[in-house]
Amino acid sequence: MKMEEDVYVSERIIKESQLKKFLRENLSTLSIFGVLLAVSLFFGIATGSFLSASNVTNLIIQVAPNVIVAVAMTFVITTGGIDLSVGSILALASALLATLLASGTSLIVAFLAVIAAGLAIGFVNGYVVAYHNIPPLISTLASLMYVRGLALLITGGYSVAIVGENWIIGMGQGRVLGVPFPVILAGFIAIIGVIALRYTRFGNYVTGIGANEESVRRTGVHTKKVKIMTYMLSGGAAALAGLIIAARLGSGSSNIGNMFEMDVIAAVVLGGTSLFGGAGTIIGSIFGVALIGVIKNGLTLMHVSPYIIQITEGLVLLLAVLINVKIFSNKK
Amino acid sequence: MEEHFQIEMRNIQKSYGNIRSLRGVDLQLKPGEVLGLVGDNGAGKSTLMKVLSGVVIPDEGEFYFEGKKVSIDSPRAAKDLSIETVFQDLSLCDTLSVANNMFLGREPVKFLGRLIDQKTLHAKSREHLDKLGIDISSTKLPVQNMSGGQRQAVAIARAMVFDPKVLILDEPTAALGVKEVNMVLELINNVKKKGVSVVLITHRLQDLFEVCDRIMVLNEGKCIDDRLIEQFTLDSLIKSIMGSPDKGVGVS
Repeated sequence: MKMEEDVYVSERIIKESQLKKFLRENLSTLSIFGVLLAVSLFFGIATGSFLSASNVTNLIIQVAPNVIVAVAMTFVITTGGIDLSVGSILALASALLATLLASGTSLIVAFLAVIAAGLAIGFVNGYVVAYHNIPPLISTLASLMYVRGLALLITGGYSVAIVGENWIIGMGQGRVLGVPFPVILAGFIAIIGVIALRYTRFGNYVTGIGANEESVRRTGVHTKKVKIMTYMLSGGAAALAGLIIAARLGSGSSNIGNMFEMDVIAAVVLGGTSLFGGAGTIIGSIFGVALIGVIKNGLTLMHVSPYIIQITEGLVLLLAVLINVKIFSNKK
Repeated sequence: MEEHFQIEMRNIQKSYGNIRSLRGVDLQLKPGEVLGLVGDNGAGKSTLMKVLSGVVIPDEGEFYFEGKKVSIDSPRAAKDLSIETVFQDLSLCDTLSVANNMFLGREPVKFLGRLIDQKTLHAKSREHLDKLGIDISSTKLPVQNMSGGQRQAVAIARAMVFDPKVLILDEPTAALGVKEVNMVLELINNVKKKGVSVVLITHRLQDLFEVCDRIMVLNEGKCIDDRLIEQFTLDSLIKSIMGSPDKGVGVS
C-alpha cells in the first residue's frame, strides 16, 4: 500500500549545505556565543586587566557555581517550569555546611546532609507543582522565602567560619593539574547535562512535557515524577553550588546568593532555552552564564558603579526575555 | 460457549461536574472487527475512547480483555494490553522529532538503558513510515514545522509501531487529503485482516460504509443504536445520529 513515491517529495524543501543547516539550527546558541566574544573583546580593549590570566581564572572560578545551577535550571525551564528558590537553597547549603562542621559533624555526613537538604526542598517544590498544579513561580517563590528564613535561623544571621584543611575546603579551593576544582566539577556536570537532555529518555520527556505535557502523559510516561525530578536536580545543584562557595570562602553565610536565582534564570533565557518550555540548550545556558559573568566582571574592572552594573544586568535580562519570547512565540 | 471478545467495556460512566458525559455505555469488540463510533458533538465518543485508552479514568465501569477482567487505570495499562490510540488532537510534542514522537515513552535504549539508541530509533521510525507509505523527508525533523496531514500521519504511524491488538482512531482523517484518506482506509482493512480490532470515529459517514462491520451510535452519553453495517443505509444512519433511530432495514 505504498503511496506513489513522488507525492510530495518535497520540492518545497530548500536544499542547503551542511554548514548552512548547522548555522540555522544553532542560530540562538551561535549568536549568544558571538555576543560573548564581542563583549569580551570590548572589555579586553577597554581595560588592561580583563584578559589577564589571573582575571580569567578568577572569572571562571566565580561562574562555576552558576554553571552548575544553570545546567539544572535548564531542565526545569525546558519543562515549562521555573525555580526561584535556588539562591535561598544556596545560602541554606552554605549556612548548614558551616554550622554542621562547626558543631563537629563529620565531613561526609555534613556533605550528604547539605545535598540531601537541597534535594528535599527540590522535592517539595516539584511535588507542589506536579501534584497540586500550583504555578511554579508561586510555589518556588514561597520556597525562596522559607528557605532563606531557615538559613537565617540556623546562623542567626552571622557568618560561620569553616576552619581547617579538608576535602570539603578542597572542593572550593583545590586544583587538579592546575585547574580549579569548581571548574572541573562544573565542566563535568555540564557534560552530563548535555547528554541527559539530548540523549536520554529523561531528557526527551523533559522536552516533551514542555511542548505538550498531556501528550507525554498519554504515552504512559509518569510526567509528574519527571517534573519532580527536575526540581530535585535544581535543588541539589543549588546545594552543591552553595557548598562550593562556602568552601571557597572558608565560611558559611545565610546572606549569600541574593538574586542568584535571577542571574541563573537570566543566563538560561539568554542562552536560548524557551521560557514557554519545550526547547532547551545546556550549551546556550553555559554561554549565558559566561556572558553575565563577563559583563559583571568587565564593568567592575572599568570601575563602573555597582548600581549601574545592576541596572545593566536588568536591562540585559529584559532584552533576553524579549528576544526569547519573540523567537519562541513565532515557532508556536 | 461464551462469545470471545477482544475487548469489552461494561457500564462505563463518567461525569464532569454536573455533566454526565457517559451514562452507562457498553461496548464489545471482536478480534478483527471494525466498529464505527458515531454521534453528534458532545455525544461522548472521544471521552469513551479516552476511557478505553486509559487517559480518562471512568467513575464506574468494567473492562474485559480477551475474556479476562482487567483494569485500565492509566495510559500505561492500556498500552500493556496493546491498545493504541490516534487521538483527535494528535497528541504530538511539537518540538520533538518525528522519531521521538513515534517512540515517546518507549524509546529503544542502549548502555544499560541509560541512553536512547538514536540509530535504532531513527532506523525503526523510517522503517515504519515506509511500511505505511508515509512520505516524510527526515525522521529527525521536529513535527512543529510539518503540515497537518504529515502530523496526522506521524500520529497514525505511532499507533502502529507496537503492533496493536485494539486500534482506536479518533478522527484520523480530519486533516488528510483524498489520497491519504484512502491510505488510512486501506490501513484499517489491512490490520483488520491481521485480527486487529478497530474503533473508528469519523464525521465522514461514507468512510464508515467502506471499512466498518458494525456501527454504534452515541447520543448524550448513551448508546442508542448498535447494528451491523448491512442494516444501515446512509439515511437511517443520519436519523440515528440525529437521535431518533428507526428500527433499521432488514433487522431480523
